[in-house]
Parts: sequence; structure tokens; C-alpha cells
Amino acid sequence: MSDSEDGKWGIAHVYASFNNTLITVTDETGAETIAKSSGGTVVKQNRDEASPYAAMQMAEVVAEEVKAAGLEGVHVRVRGPGGNLNKSTGPGAQATIRALARAGVEIGRIEDVTPIPHDGTKAPKNKRI
Amino acid sequence: MRHVTVPQDRIGVLIGEGGETLREVEDRADVRLDVDSETGSVEIDSTGDPVAAMVAPDIVKAIGRGFTPEVALSLLDHDLRRFELIDLADHTRNDNDMERKKGRIIGENGRTRELMEELTGAEVVVYGSTVGIIGGAEEVSAVRRAVGMLLDGAPHGAVYSFLERKSNELDDDVSFSAPR
Repeated sequence: MSDSEDGKWGIAHVYASFNNTLITVTDETGAETIAKSSGGTVVKQNRDEASPYAAMQMAEVVAEEVKAAGLEGVHVRVRGPGGNLNKSTGPGAQATIRALARAGVEIGRIEDVTPIPHDGTKAPKNKRI
Repeated sequence: MRHVTVPQDRIGVLIGEGGETLREVEDRADVRLDVDSETGSVEIDSTGDPVAAMVAPDIVKAIGRGFTPEVALSLLDHDLRRFELIDLADHTRNDNDMERKKGRIIGENGRTRELMEELTGAEVVVYGSTVGIIGGAEEVSAVRRAVGMLLDGAPHGAVYSFLERKSNELDDDVSFSAPR
């Protein structure tokens, strides 16, 4: 990325739940969206939307757009559903970050921004697994 | 920086003979591990590549939940390999029920657990109150479903035929399974 000497960085917001993965790349303030993608853009079956395979493909598309926008690299903010729901990130999170890195986007800090309740509402009852 | 708690009897495994295993994890995942052997708390600090370091908490947790260090380190081998943990405490009523359901998952002489591993290709470990699974994304979800069926009281035969079916699907479907 020789044409971006100003060294602009972005933030890749990765929301990985067990049903889908959303990737949104914004500028450093988070106000301007540069690229976004979600599971439904690369797979046909709904149940595949959260798969790491889908996440990899999404990340490749996003990486192209990020490079075209002239960003030097991205910081990553991953989150799972959080709140009173599941606190762990879904299968897409790791795959996304790895695929971004492999596609030539420099990865800065990786931060977990899953919302943690300071004792909020009652959690849903345990579902069958 | 991340913290993971490891049970007392797994600290020895995590550290290894003369710190061998600990050093290997540190080298391969680009992290520094600080083990407090009194409390079992492990502090994980990234030293280099943040992408490799992302998996380190899972590796330490997997060793803590009964996996051998070799299997836990296999998480670094491929992007699509996952570690998942099912806490049986959430799905059982009391200690007796826990014991019974663990027995159902393990099976007579470990038959059910071994069959889950053979048919899906994932690694399955029952340790304490947790079931740990390491494998490709599809493999892990198949084992997860099978464990769910057993917890719900499905007969073992039904679970075996479910696993047989999944095993055929996994063989056919090349695009979604991890290459090995």
C-alpha cells in the first residue's frame, strides 16, 4: 500500500453470532462505513451463514474494498451476541480475522467488545443443544 | 491480555516436563504465558502477531479441559478448526443426573465417545462437568448435536445412526470441511 503514506487506519467491526456473521469496516471514528458484508451475500442456505467458510469468503471481498479505499490496516473489534445472550463469539470471528490477515490487510489491535451486562434483565432459559 | 483458569490437576500438563509444553505453546502462538500454580490462573499476553495470539486462550482452555497438548495445538493447524465446550451443569438437575448423563455420553467402555470421534473426525473429551470438542466446524456441530440428543434422552442407537448419516455427509461435502 505505497499510495497511502498518510497511514490511515480503519476499524473492522466483526459481529459473530451462531446464526450469522456481520463484517463492517469503518474509518477510525466509526462514523463512515467503508465496506460491509454479511453471511447471506456468499451462501445460499440460511444455516451456513455463520460458518467459518462463509466468513472467509466475506473477508476476502471486504479486504479488496479496504485495499481499494487505501487503508493501511484495520483494528478489529469482535463481538458475540452478548447482553443476556451468549457471551462467546460465533464460528465466524476467528475465520474472518485470519482471512483478512491472509488477504494482505494489516491487523492492528484485536479487541473483544461483546456487551457484558452489569446485571441487566433475566437471561432466557437454557435451550436444548 | 486475557485470563484463563486451569484446574489444579491440569497445570502440570500445561507446563509439561521442565516447562516444555508451556514453551511450545508460547512459541507457536506468539504469546507469553504467566501461570499462577497456586490459583491455576493463566495470564496470556500477546508478544507478536495478534492473529496467532487470538487462538492462545482456546489452546490453554482446551488443555485445562482435558485435551492433550498435541490436540490442543492442532487448533493452530487450520483456520476452520474450532474448540467448543459444552457445560453439562447447564443441562443437568443434580450430581446424580450429571453422573448419569456423563455416562451416557461416554458409553460402555467409552464406546459412544470413541464412535463420535471416529465417525466425525473430531476429538471429544469428557472432563469434570464439561464436554470439549476440537475439530472442523461441521464436525464440531455434528458432535454437538449428538451430545444434545444424548442429553435429551435419545436412545444410543438413534444417535449412532445420526452420526453414521453425518459421517457420510461429511465425506461427500468437500467445500465446507477442513482439508487434511
